[in-house]
Amino acid sequence: MTRKYELVYVVSPEASDDQVTDLHNQVEAIVQRFSGSSIEKTDNWGRRRLAYEIGRHKEGTYVLEVINGTGELMKEIDRRIKVTDLIIRHLVVRVDEAQGVIERTKAARSATSQRRRVARGLPADRQPGEGQRGDADDDRDDRFDMGMDRDRDRDRGVDR
Amino acid sequence: MNGRKSFGPKKGGRAGAGAQGKDGQRRPMFRRRKVCKFCADKIDDINYKDSKLLLPFVPERAKILPRRISGTCALHQRKLRVALMRARQLALVPYTAE
Repeated sequence: MTRKYELVYVVSPEASDDQVTDLHNQVEAIVQRFSGSSIEKTDNWGRRRLAYEIGRHKEGTYVLEVINGTGELMKEIDRRIKVTDLIIRHLVVRVDEAQGVIERTKAARSATSQRRRVARGLPADRQPGEGQRGDADDDRDDRFDMGMDRDRDRDRGVDR
Repeated sequence: MNGRKSFGPKKGGRAGAGAQGKDGQRRPMFRRRKVCKFCADKIDDINYKDSKLLLPFVPERAKILPRRISGTCALHQRKLRVALMRARQLALVPYTAE
């Protein structure tokens, strides 16, 4: 049963670029040992600040690998990573099901919008230049507004 | 709705309830209706890798912002929580404030 997984690992900041590539090659080697599995994508996010200290490290190199494979494969990769001292943190997430859900919601949404547009006598797809009024000027983030804006607007004499 | 009078008219404490009530009548306590960011922006994928998206939901103390403040709908709050917990594991988002 082939599934899609995402593996993110944080490499210690002391590691050189060669060592990071070497770790990637190690993962690749394990993937190749299992038939029918493959690495779909590799993405090196580069060096990033950690949100909190891990051990004594404040930074780390993040690497993302999208892997098609079985649970057995991921178990093996997980085991190998756990014993690798250079990797200070890692996470394996299964993504195929969640991606399916996302695609279905997107499809459902566009279907609904097309149906509604047709029912209103409009072409099914949005025309260029067509937009909702007030779309552009409401880009300010007011999710945490608890009335401060209202006070400020009143002080400035803005009428809403 | 009257839980946050402190955000209301800027009257000193001495002014008392009468003045505030009068002011309140002229300008009834109005708070903009909160909308779920993810519903409004049609964000289907609340991804743990997207720290730019997640960080507004992590206030100073690094606790997850409750729904009653952010206005996130129940469905998206659940997804947000999972994403935040994954991001925390990877040190993209803090567990606590230092």
